Amino acid sequence: MAAKLGSAPVTYSPNLGQKTRPPIFKDNDLDWVRPDGRGFHQCRPAFFRTGAVNSASGSAYAELGSTKVIVSVFGPRESKKAMMYSDTGRLNCNVSYTTFATPVRGQGSDHKEFSSMLHKALEGAIMLETFPKTTVDVFALVLESGGSDLPVVISCASLALADAGIMMYDLVAAVSVSCLGKNLVIDPVLEEESYQDGSLMLTCMPSRYEVTQLTFTGEWSTPDINEAMQLCLDACNKLGKVMRTCLKEAASASQE
Amino acid sequence: MGLPNASGDLSTEVEVDAFRCLFPLRFYEKHLLESIRPDARPLGRARETTIALGAVASANGSALAKIGSTTMLAAIKMEVMTPSLETPDEGCIAIDFHMPSICSPIVRPGRPAEAAPVVAKQFSGMINLKELSLVSGKAAWMAYLDIYCLDADGALFDTGLLSAVAAFSHLEIPVVSLNDDGKIVLSEEQGLSDREPINKEKRKINLSSVPFSLTCVLHKNYILADPTAEEESIMDTTVTVVLDSSSQLISLHKPGGTVLAYTSAIQCSYHGVFFTVTLEATLTPRLCLKLDMKITFPWMQDCIALTRQRVKELQKILEEAISGMEVD
Repeated sequence: MAAKLGSAPVTYSPNLGQKTRPPIFKDNDLDWVRPDGRGFHQCRPAFFRTGAVNSASGSAYAELGSTKVIVSVFGPRESKKAMMYSDTGRLNCNVSYTTFATPVRGQGSDHKEFSSMLHKALEGAIMLETFPKTTVDVFALVLESGGSDLPVVISCASLALADAGIMMYDLVAAVSVSCLGKNLVIDPVLEEESYQDGSLMLTCMPSRYEVTQLTFTGEWSTPDINEAMQLCLDACNKLGKVMRTCLKEAASASQE
Repeated sequence: MGLPNASGDLSTEVEVDAFRCLFPLRFYEKHLLESIRPDARPLGRARETTIALGAVASANGSALAKIGSTTMLAAIKMEVMTPSLETPDEGCIAIDFHMPSICSPIVRPGRPAEAAPVVAKQFSGMINLKELSLVSGKAAWMAYLDIYCLDADGALFDTGLLSAVAAFSHLEIPVVSLNDDGKIVLSEEQGLSDREPINKEKRKINLSSVPFSLTCVLHKNYILADPTAEEESIMDTTVTVVLDSSSQLISLHKPGGTVLAYTSAIQCSYHGVFFTVTLEATLTPRLCLKLDMKITFPWMQDCIALTRQRVKELQKILEEAISGMEVD
């Protein structure tokens, strides 16, 4: 059918989207409410489920608000032929988006850095020496992008790894905070992310209280950083509990 | 994967698993003799099928279809295009079939290329492209249909087609109007609600004939409906029959395989040779065979009969999914 057209037609979405930043946080920001009515320091309810993809060694599905992510883990399996011998296992991560993940089709930025950031966030938690010479593949697909995509992908990926039985020191929970004017909002949605001044993402292993990755972008003041990190650590702790419950439920269901 | 004859004893279970890995074909043939499959299905039964409509909020229409553990997510996004000069009052549908790396441990690059154009073809009769017109010669809808395979376990085409059909039945076309720049924009968002929308009535697409399909695997004189990935890999002859809701044959696709020599050896060995040579050319393009036409291949009649049954099942499942949406 596409061939019928000859050359590819130029199409546009009738949904122009709001490009202008709403006048919030200018003088009195106390009345402002978040698009989904949450408090500034309140995360979206998290839903996790393991075993989403049968053909994978392990998998998990995560849904926070309208952010929907599916992660599959394959392996440990033979490394690519071109790879050099390695005493420790390898971790290979890839994050991709569906074409309908973003409000306008195919307009999501390329998110090339997400794959390497996912790798860095997980690397510290996995006992790579338990699968020498082999590779574990972690593939993530963002079904719908609703903001805070990368933290959701990271949390979901650590659950999928656990589901696949890959040895880890601890689960990895990730949360991001956006800086909007003077305020810090946790777990921002897409709209908030589009006009944030700065963002911070923290991934940590809650039971060990160790941080595996910490990234800042944009404008931050030192007290804000401290506050935001504390917010993230607390939220990661809570998220870790939710993830743990999900694993326990799956384990007790399979025993029955 | 519970084996029907596996006792609680672990040692026998390991042996059965080992046998399954080492001699997959013999393992299956032993089951087929008893007219049962390793997942406890009779030969002609399809796996459990579910449809969930509206899975993706960012799309205009979407559906998640599951047949067994094969899962497909289809979503439609509507964009505006300028129609071509030859067909000024017709829209267009662009279909993409994706197999992202999450869906299967085996990378099979040939697969998507094979399935995508075939899925696309089934839609040519299903939607009257004139319905996608907005302003004749100026603007028309381009429906981007993207199908993602989330979990691949056989019968990819059937699940893909089912999810696409369900997504189209869930599709709701947004109300749009023409703005001052001559562009089509959403009526509510741009504050043009006072202006007359140009597609007041055309909010749903009329599906004239809805295609449903069933894939069968043929082995000797056995026909296995709705194969799993394991069955597809062990037995190489697959036949996909697509029927519309009034049981008219839309397409029959048999990509290679050896089965004809077994099942129709005496009756039509000449035809058999002739058939395998020209099957691609004569049968896959919408050859509208009426079903009262005499078909000389026994396997073909059986496959079509199975598909007819399956179409009724699928129609019911789709209707239930749609009525479930209306209640909400």
